[in-house]
Amino acid sequence: MARGQLIDVEKRYGRHSVIHGASLDLPDGELTVFVGPSGCGKSTLLRMIAGLEEIDDGLFLLDGEPMNDVPPARRGIAMVFQSYALYPHMSVRQNLSFGLETARTPRGEIAAAVARASRILRIEHLLDRKPRELSGGQRQRVAIGRAIVRQPRMFLFDEPLSNLDAELRQEMRVEIARLQKELATTMVYVTHDQIEAMTMADRIVVLREGRIEQVGTPVALYDHPDNQFVAGFIGSPRMNFHGAVVTSVDGSAVTVALTGTTTQIAVPVAAQAAAIGEQLVLGIRPPNLHPSGQGDAEIAVEITLVEQLGGNALLYGRTEAGVDLVAQEPGHSAAQRGERRVFGLPSAQCHLFRHSDGLALPRRRS
Amino acid sequence: MSDAALDIAGLRARLAGSRARAHRLHRLHRLLRHCGLVVLCAAALYPLLWMVAASFLPEDEILTAISPIPKSWSLHNYTAGWNAFDVSFTRFYLNSALIAAISVVGNVFASSLAAFAFARLRFPGRGLLFGLMLLTLMIPAHVTLIPQYVLFQNLDWIDSILPLVVPKLLGCDAFFIFLMVQFFRTIPREIEEAARMDGCSPWRIYRRIIMPLSTPVLATAAIFSFIFTWDDFFGPLIYLSSTENFNVPLALRAFAGSDEGSSLGQLFAMATLSVMPVFLVFVFCQRLVISGAAGLGLKR
Amino acid sequence: MRAGVLGSRRRYRDTWAAYGFLAPWLAGLLVLTLGPLAASLYLSFTQFDLLDPPEWIGLENYRQMATDPRFWKALRVSFTYVVLAVPLKLLAALGLAMLLKQGLRLAVLYRALLYLPSLLGASVAVALLWQRVFAGDGLLNHVLAAFGITGASWISDPRYALDTLVVLAVWQFGSPMIVFLAGLQQIPRDLYEAAGLDGAGAFRQFRRITLPMLTPVIFFNLIFQTIEALKAFTQAYVVSSGTGGPTDSTLFFTLYLYQEAFAHFHMGYASALAWVLMSIIGGLTAVMFAAQRYWVHYDE
Repeated sequence: MARGQLIDVEKRYGRHSVIHGASLDLPDGELTVFVGPSGCGKSTLLRMIAGLEEIDDGLFLLDGEPMNDVPPARRGIAMVFQSYALYPHMSVRQNLSFGLETARTPRGEIAAAVARASRILRIEHLLDRKPRELSGGQRQRVAIGRAIVRQPRMFLFDEPLSNLDAELRQEMRVEIARLQKELATTMVYVTHDQIEAMTMADRIVVLREGRIEQVGTPVALYDHPDNQFVAGFIGSPRMNFHGAVVTSVDGSAVTVALTGTTTQIAVPVAAQAAAIGEQLVLGIRPPNLHPSGQGDAEIAVEITLVEQLGGNALLYGRTEAGVDLVAQEPGHSAAQRGERRVFGLPSAQCHLFRHSDGLALPRRRS
Repeated sequence: MSDAALDIAGLRARLAGSRARAHRLHRLHRLLRHCGLVVLCAAALYPLLWMVAASFLPEDEILTAISPIPKSWSLHNYTAGWNAFDVSFTRFYLNSALIAAISVVGNVFASSLAAFAFARLRFPGRGLLFGLMLLTLMIPAHVTLIPQYVLFQNLDWIDSILPLVVPKLLGCDAFFIFLMVQFFRTIPREIEEAARMDGCSPWRIYRRIIMPLSTPVLATAAIFSFIFTWDDFFGPLIYLSSTENFNVPLALRAFAGSDEGSSLGQLFAMATLSVMPVFLVFVFCQRLVISGAAGLGLKR
Repeated sequence: MRAGVLGSRRRYRDTWAAYGFLAPWLAGLLVLTLGPLAASLYLSFTQFDLLDPPEWIGLENYRQMATDPRFWKALRVSFTYVVLAVPLKLLAALGLAMLLKQGLRLAVLYRALLYLPSLLGASVAVALLWQRVFAGDGLLNHVLAAFGITGASWISDPRYALDTLVVLAVWQFGSPMIVFLAGLQQIPRDLYEAAGLDGAGAFRQFRRITLPMLTPVIFFNLIFQTIEALKAFTQAYVVSSGTGGPTDSTLFFTLYLYQEAFAHFHMGYASALAWVLMSIIGGLTAVMFAAQRYWVHYDE
């Protein structure tokens, strides 16, 4: 168990910066998830924490001690690799004991640690098998077991579920979350799948192009995204975006007109942020967009596609401006392609983002 | 809070220092490695460089020269050595070239035919014959040597290039067949299946689809076939008896054993020239040669 | 019914085409491989000098071998050569592959330069060069003299002559080195990272990860180099000027065979020798294959 801190951490390849001044707290005992599109630097950041990549500038502290120059093995950190990196010529038992043997741990202690780890992960019956005889899910457990055995201060996971099929992925997601709570360790988990992030994390760190976009609990990121990127990345189905122009501003709200349509809506955000005529982007999540027009404003659409998912339905409606909006309707929908409908916009759940830099206009806390 | 801030600045300064030191150490390490490798390369190539250098020196200087760089440059050894025999080396090079040309073409062509059959055609006995082919890799040439000699003697082929060249035309080098089978297997079956549905015969598939797609392996096989053939000594030693039929290795050896061969300079000049073709092939086709040599060990 | 006819017609067509493609190889197999193989077995039980027809003498050739001191000497020489040359060559190859593997700049250049001896090494030119390097007044002794050391007359000294050939073999480590390099590249990098996180230093990583994962490549190189060493001929012939001397100290088995067949025309005896050679090669290969499950690790 340990508290980690990244302070202004930088990574450069030649002239080109891959991680720009990232600062972050990794609280003790929490599961922090790094998430973002490919190339955003989440794996690089993880590897810098592990010590597999050099930190070019800034500090990485573990329990207050700087770790920049400490070799990976002495940081007290264990990592589960995306490809598991199990030693193929060793049995499961040998894979689990390898690190402890290297540290010259007494044989009895090694046996006890291996027994404990294999019990937690339910792989006791596999101890004498070789990795090539195991299934994907089993190999993953062994990889996790190898990390547990060393009783590290911090666990790192590098996209551990991306090689598994969907069903197994869901099962392992639950397992890993359960494991973290049981062991009460600090965990850093990297994934490109925002659903994994939302379901597992105590805190999510959204990264894009080497910069931290936002840090917060899943709910906080969902309800209060700091910018358009985070708003569009978190949440499935994706948030709807529509161009908007500010028509009036007063103490309690900013009124915008949706570009190319006749719809106007007053959104409760801090007024000083906006000027009349300013270009903005309105965001509204599909579950919040009412499929039958109830709300503070209406927008006329023509239905282009209906996806019946059984438990709910997604209605794709095209506005007069040619923008597609997705509304989520519970149960089965009677909507038809080509039908003219009106979607309802609740002002309390609308988000406004500046067109220029994507920053969200801060909400008035009511 | 401000204490912590000061602390951080101090830590960063210290880290920058230790990072710079680590970089210097790393660079030193790398420099040492480069030095070691340069020394090794120099030592490994020294005999060859010396030979080439010595070939440019007049006779009396050679005996004492140890430098890989010649002090004086003269082509005398080359011109003298070339014509030292009553048969000039031109003849030997032509012989070698003829043998190489026919062998390479024959080998590559015949091997590809057999390889295509093994890799892509279905016929009874395929497994058995393929296994048999692999077994022939184990048979050293010496076991079949004597009966082959008797056969060629009865055919009156001794002292001609036929005993050297005809086996190649019959695809007797299982090594190349194996190499090509491995390659052909990587060509997607769908391409051939589409061709079959278009009514292509196996021959057409071989000629219009497999061969054009196989240039890498054909080139590799051609290069290695050339190298083996050019340097071949044992076969020619047995089958080529008259001097004017010698290939270059044989001629070189005869030169060494002759009176003219006591001139070290001329010997080295001729030796240098004899490895030139293989060397040039290597220089121009380096990547193919090296990946061919590597591929040997990994296709298992 | 129709499908059945079409089906068998397609397989029928493949079979004809296949044997068409295989015709050259099959011809070669029968006439130049299997035929001579059987013939030489027969000849090994005869006395045959090419002038008169072979005369059956039963096991006499084999009995003669057992009491022939040159036979045992040749066996000893070949075995010593293999036991010295192969391990040293592989050690050099592996060592240099490890030096080159870390993505050094210029690695491609070093690799090519170190491969060059291997490429040219089998040629007569290099064998002649070797003779001149290790002669009593050769290059090596000149270089040693510069350091004040008097070298022996290496190739004329029965104690050292074979060693010069071993050095020649080890000098050609470039070829197995390339194979090792390719094998090293196939080891996933994250295994080393995981081991690093587990606290393993460079040496432990080499012993517990690199070596075990290289065992298939080591196995291949071991077999290939051993067989090549047993079949070696040109170097011994040229360096000893065909004699296998001094005092048979470089009498490779293949050289002995050649002398018996083409200098003394004991064709029957030579055939028996050839079969002994093939049995040795076959036996060694079989033993190595059987032993591999004790030390070679194969991935799926």
